[in-house]
Amino acid sequence: MLSGMLRCSASLAVVVGISFSGCSSTSGPFPSKELKLIVQASPGGLSDSVSRIMASLSEPDLGVPVVCENKPGASGALAYSYVVRRPPDGYTIGHAAVEIAMVRALGYADIGPEDVDLICLVSKSPPVLVVRADSPWKNFSDFVDAARKEPNSLIMANSGTGSIWHFNTLLMEQYADLRVTHVPYNGSSGSLASLLGGHVDAVIAGAGEAVANVAAGRLRALAILPPSRSQIYPETPTTHELKYPFGVPAWSGFFAPKGLPQDVLVRLEAAFRKAFETEEWRKLCHERGMEAEFLNSEDFQKFALDQGIFFGAEIPKLLTMKR
Amino acid sequence: MSTEIIDGLLAVLQWKVLGFLSVGVVLGAIFGALPGLTATMGVAILTPLTFWLSAEEGLAMLLGIYGGAIPGGGIPAILINVPGTPASIATSWDGYALSRQGKAGLALGINAILSTIGQLTSIFFLAVAAFPIASFALRFGPAEYFGLALFGISLMAGVSGKRVIQGMLAGMLGLSLAMVGLDPMTAYPRYTFGQAEFLDGISFVPVMIGLFGLAEVLTQISERNKTTDTPPAALGRILPRLTEWKKMIVGAAAGAGLGTLVGAVPAAGGDIGSVISWEQARRISREKEKFGKGSIEGLAASCASCNSAIGGAMTTMLTLGIPGDAVSAVLIGALMIHGIQPGPLLFRDKASFVFSLVFLMAFAAILIMAIGLLGARPLARALRLPNAWLWAGIVLFGTVGSYALNNAIVDVWAMFVAGIVGFLFRKANIPLGPLVLGLILGPMMESNLRRALILSRGDWTGTLTQPIVLFFLVATALSLLVPLIKRRKT
Repeated sequence: MLSGMLRCSASLAVVVGISFSGCSSTSGPFPSKELKLIVQASPGGLSDSVSRIMASLSEPDLGVPVVCENKPGASGALAYSYVVRRPPDGYTIGHAAVEIAMVRALGYADIGPEDVDLICLVSKSPPVLVVRADSPWKNFSDFVDAARKEPNSLIMANSGTGSIWHFNTLLMEQYADLRVTHVPYNGSSGSLASLLGGHVDAVIAGAGEAVANVAAGRLRALAILPPSRSQIYPETPTTHELKYPFGVPAWSGFFAPKGLPQDVLVRLEAAFRKAFETEEWRKLCHERGMEAEFLNSEDFQKFALDQGIFFGAEIPKLLTMKR
Repeated sequence: MSTEIIDGLLAVLQWKVLGFLSVGVVLGAIFGALPGLTATMGVAILTPLTFWLSAEEGLAMLLGIYGGAIPGGGIPAILINVPGTPASIATSWDGYALSRQGKAGLALGINAILSTIGQLTSIFFLAVAAFPIASFALRFGPAEYFGLALFGISLMAGVSGKRVIQGMLAGMLGLSLAMVGLDPMTAYPRYTFGQAEFLDGISFVPVMIGLFGLAEVLTQISERNKTTDTPPAALGRILPRLTEWKKMIVGAAAGAGLGTLVGAVPAAGGDIGSVISWEQARRISREKEKFGKGSIEGLAASCASCNSAIGGAMTTMLTLGIPGDAVSAVLIGALMIHGIQPGPLLFRDKASFVFSLVFLMAFAAILIMAIGLLGARPLARALRLPNAWLWAGIVLFGTVGSYALNNAIVDVWAMFVAGIVGFLFRKANIPLGPLVLGLILGPMMESNLRRALILSRGDWTGTLTQPIVLFFLVATALSLLVPLIKRRKT
């Protein structure tokens, strides 16, 4: 009886779902025309690579082209605001980077993870603290001791004020009770070049961004910032092992305007999951220093909302921290 | 070592690899020639496709695009005064003047040949001195970048011609526009009027399309009744004569050398390199007065320098794993797809692959010359189109290109506003070159001066007396003072 009702309501839901998606300008099962994937960053960065690779890996399953379109600007705020104004029919989706949980606290746009329908998360990029190989600091505690001994004496470059790697630097100051002098660059290539050139003392950057020079023995990785060790830095301890439980990774996922029909959401999630499970995706993650991690819509929603609350509380505090 | 060179050469001497390379060069030229479409975009869009190709085939296509784009951008700069890429701005100064004199063929020929020479020179330096060049690039800290930018800005006087005061004012306007957007150090919004669209500042490419493309159209329309100087449809010969070669050689050498060095420094590329090279070639030239009015020396310096930035940027990328410009940032991703990690270890572990890349870029350079020379005649036919068609075409491509850059409508407005401003400036005889220099170099000068002062904890003297910085400061002072002293004497 109960199962009969469930089955009945389920099939009803499917019918309603289909008829609703049918109403939205196209007929037949989703997708019946090409999808647009809005990337919040310029061509060439990690967000762009993730989007383009995921798009081409999900095309065979979806059976329609997935076309990436870059709308960079204001830490992604422009792209996020653009996507939420599109009709929630699944034909316009966006790449959600960690900044979607940050832009409101940064004051760039009044938008956050609660304003969109999150489809799935596909990867996380852990931060890593690196110094030059010829520097006197052999491990994290050397570095902390030196920084504490004379506050603001060590100079750390970051990839831009308000960027995710800058916040990890600020978190380190807070958790390890130390103070450094910050020099913002425009992206990690600038901050890493200034470290290699001997202009600054240390940098927090994405694990993948620093790995080539760590492997070559030019840089030394002192700590990896998420709770678990990185596959590309197997030797490097995590901050959590070192009893300083701080660090937030950058991440990559996909979202749609709020009000996406359930069947379309399920369809997109399934397509991205298939793409996620391919060998190509594992390979890309490994080579670019990302951890391949899949969160379905529900778990991603929870995770992103938590991140939004975390950044909403921490960003104002960290930016006004006593120096 | 020699076996690795031969292995590297054999890996790319396959008709399939060379086929992809030619496809890439042609695609790159098309992307470069259409304002708003960039080499970065072309490489980024095609990178996922290389998934299904071998590393050599994939990189052949991408390096072809990279090499083809800037000479491609030179084509509209010469024919219709619309630089296809920021790097071709200096190319338009002399190239367009030449094509107005009925020497479009020669200008296109020089663009193709000198781009090739520039790229070959820089690749030669990459092959023989990658690590010294890279360590020179790393010595560029904030203070050195500030010195470079200041030196670049001092060229405003040179590119202003005789109207120095008007040029300075235009330069100031460029510098002020460069301040719009998030403060580079504190990320506090400046002059954004609460609009998120302005947080990243005013995009340079739409402004460039407006100032040069739209303004050119408006100027021609306003002068259409005085049809005394409509561009002659003549193409003229394409290959330079021996006497012209002799004139070009110094400018070309200066362009290729300076271009390689500037290109190697991360965050400084062909746009800055070509303007600096053009100005230096003017200084050492015997026919200074011809610069900007169709000097083949100026054109040679600019063209040679644009593409030599490629070798420089690739040197930084391959040796350090740090991108030298936007395109090489995308290429890092493409290399990683094929399991190749750029960085110091690449030269030890995969030396033959590095040589494959070197040969690919060298072959791409030769293809650029072949395609450029063969294509000059059909391309120059564009000049025979009725003016109205040409004008409509420029406005159409300018609008689409401005939008395509960031997919943002605000850029299209920026293009139109810049077009009207550029038109009014031309009517008032105010040079546009300094405005462009201010807009390109302003952010680099400001952010690096402020970074340098953070590093030195507010100490100016220590910062500005480091050797490379001092060199740039002296060069800046000389470039400003020498013309004054010379004028006194005469």
